[in-house]
Amino acid sequence: MNWLTVNIISWLLFFFGAAFPVLILLKAIGLTGLMKVTRYESYHSFYYKMNPAVKIMLGIIVMVVASVTIWWIGAIMTAIILASYLTLKDGKRKFITGLFLTMMTIIGTTWAFAPYTPYVILEEAFHTGSLTTLWTWPSYFTVMGYQPALTSQGIVYGFQISMRFAAVSLMSLVLVMTSTPSQVLRSLNKVGIPTSLTFSLVVAMRTIPRIFEYIDTSVKIQFMKGLGSNSPAFLRPFYMLSGAFSGIVPVIVFLVRGAKDTAISADTRAFRAYSKRTYMYPMAIGKIDKMAVSFMVLMILLTGIVVMLGFGRGIAYNG
Amino acid sequence: MKALEIHDLKFYYMGREEPAINIEHLSIEDGETVLITGRSGGGKSTLVNCITGIIPHVIHGEFEGQVEVYGHDTMKTQLSKLSTEVGIVLQNPENQVLNYTVEEEVAFGPENLCLEQDDIFSRVKESIETTGTSQLVDRETYTLSGGELQRVAIAAVLSMRPKLLILDEPTSNIDPEGTARVFDIIKRLKEEKTLIVVEHKVERVLPFVDRIIVIDQGKILLDIKSSQLPHYVEKMVEMGIEVPIHYIYAKKNGIDSEDMDTIREKLREKNMIPEPPRRAGDSRSIMHASVKVSTSEGKELVKGEIDLEEKHILAIMGRNGAGKSTFLKGVMGFLDMDLRCEMEIELEGRDISREHMIKRGKEIAFVPQNFDLTLISKTVEREVEYSLKKRKIREHGERVEKLLDMFTLSDLRYRDPLSLSLGQRRRVSMASAMASGVKIIMLDEPTSGQDYYHKQILGKELTRIKEAGYSIIIVTHDSRFVYRFADRVVVFNNGRKVLDGTPESVFRESRKYSIIPPSDFVLRNDEHELVNS
Repeated sequence: MNWLTVNIISWLLFFFGAAFPVLILLKAIGLTGLMKVTRYESYHSFYYKMNPAVKIMLGIIVMVVASVTIWWIGAIMTAIILASYLTLKDGKRKFITGLFLTMMTIIGTTWAFAPYTPYVILEEAFHTGSLTTLWTWPSYFTVMGYQPALTSQGIVYGFQISMRFAAVSLMSLVLVMTSTPSQVLRSLNKVGIPTSLTFSLVVAMRTIPRIFEYIDTSVKIQFMKGLGSNSPAFLRPFYMLSGAFSGIVPVIVFLVRGAKDTAISADTRAFRAYSKRTYMYPMAIGKIDKMAVSFMVLMILLTGIVVMLGFGRGIAYNG
Repeated sequence: MKALEIHDLKFYYMGREEPAINIEHLSIEDGETVLITGRSGGGKSTLVNCITGIIPHVIHGEFEGQVEVYGHDTMKTQLSKLSTEVGIVLQNPENQVLNYTVEEEVAFGPENLCLEQDDIFSRVKESIETTGTSQLVDRETYTLSGGELQRVAIAAVLSMRPKLLILDEPTSNIDPEGTARVFDIIKRLKEEKTLIVVEHKVERVLPFVDRIIVIDQGKILLDIKSSQLPHYVEKMVEMGIEVPIHYIYAKKNGIDSEDMDTIREKLREKNMIPEPPRRAGDSRSIMHASVKVSTSEGKELVKGEIDLEEKHILAIMGRNGAGKSTFLKGVMGFLDMDLRCEMEIELEGRDISREHMIKRGKEIAFVPQNFDLTLISKTVEREVEYSLKKRKIREHGERVEKLLDMFTLSDLRYRDPLSLSLGQRRRVSMASAMASGVKIIMLDEPTSGQDYYHKQILGKELTRIKEAGYSIIIVTHDSRFVYRFADRVVVFNNGRKVLDGTPESVFRESRKYSIIPPSDFVLRNDEHELVNS
């Protein structure tokens, strides 16, 4: 293969890792899609009935299990949590968005590890002395921290690492989509976290979907004013990304102007009058929560067994 | 008993040499309903913040004098204690409402007061009943219309059971139907509480306020009983305050009456009925847009069409949720990915229905309600050149100069757009949107939250732009603005276009769709001639 072809393919592969997740984010999910998976909608399935504190605990357990066990346990958890999206309101749409987010996580993480991981680690992880080279980079790529070649073991290794993140990110979205900030506030206060701290979380939970909405407006206006007008259509997602960055300052200024009203609204309704609050509907532990806690205990026990059987974290990842 | 007593109040914001508010004495009796009005930036909000205790407890600066609410010195009393004496409903409910569900929002205050569960329940129930929001209890707050959200914001404040309730421009962001419902609540509360209403719409609140206070440059310029208003009409107009048009004509023509029908009759006798505003005559159609939008499940949201004529101002009106904004978004290709849209848009005989918003933007400019979101450049000049540079239009200097001049922005060219005043920021946004040589300008709710003075300026700006050859579409709830400046009006209801014509013809039937004709129109037309619902 001649020098030019090698360089072109290498740079295409280089950009694939950075660009493809962005393409998924902006083209398949869109800013409005992100808005929908970061916003609460009332519904009646089990996640909505669960105490937010239990959901937070579940998120922590998922994180612990994913980080101390072998990759395929993380993969199984990812699949289960993703499937559980179908029980949410507008479940099919949320499942598809979750699927795209998972793809984004997998591709992004794999590409963040595959070309960089030193051969010595891969050899130890895969108990092999010979790695399978898929593509040899031009020598100057080592300046960016790349290994001389991309190996199949590097890709598998990156994929396995992505399984540590995928389940946790899906689980955290479950909390945001199925609990109102007020419910989170009640639960966190009950475990002793100060109101002023939890209130910041409440305001953040309410603001995040609005940020996506406003950035979406800003980007669309920039397109109308000619952003990307002299470039081919396939580059639009990247212009969209650049427009989103440009829109951050006006969006923040806009939100800060409104934040004064938010502070006035809270302070003139006796917020922080006392160190604690009472609640119209105190957060109770229901049947579903008890079942969830039992499930978590079971998960911890199984994790212990799995680790003892040699499927624990660390090298070698593939058992 | 005095509800409010102010002595020698002065407040300086940090770094300012002039006081934002300077009031020697003001008192309001228990049970009184007072209208506070005046130009934007005149000090109304500062005064209100002094009364609620926000100044000095939350907003810091140099505070002098004394403010007492039901005997509580706001300086010495904790804000949480004050919150049970005085409550405030803010202009923009989107910023005021903190919670995701209506019930949680209304319960927020009582929960902060650490009340017993039963007490919280009874306060929530009572507030929801008073504001007529019981059917909204299980809704998420972000799904509510502006009017519904404002009523929820009122309920959330009422649940604190304040004796003094302040409503700071409570209707500036909502439709006429929502406005009417908010005013109904105010009428009901008048019997129970001391009310301070900060409002530009003098005409609408006049029937139920006892007193009018005008504030400008931090000072009380006028403090009169509402019955005295006809004697102060000229002064109010001079101060840039919107007063009912029939009062002005009555005063001008020496008619001693406040009744619209009597004034109209007398004016007719004297042959002094004013001419209606001049409208642009028929001209060639520049754009025909037919848009049908439905959800992915097939539920139809909007189905309508408009014709825009050259050098015309076309106003689109209708209740919140009537489909006006969705229609505009369809025209611009702004709709969410999960909505289905069928459209036919013909611009000067060319079909642009399949064109991406980048191409549509060459012909159509859009200024959203939150126009601050469009200001992304570091200086005004760069903001105006943005689209010219992006579209690689060479030798654009002359065009930029022309736009800066047209919008009186030349002196501000090196300023950061986000640091300018509201009116200036809107002008930058408009100039920037128009720079690449568009023919059509669309503005979503440009009158929202603006006082009479600024609305007049906006109307004149739009007229000037129209006369310079542009065609304009505005979405607005302000019927008086439409009557004065629009050439044609389209009314949407439940996603369909229901009325289309000159303001004169549309206002004859618009009450059916909760659009109240302005006093300018009613003065020229007998009310009984209008078609009522």
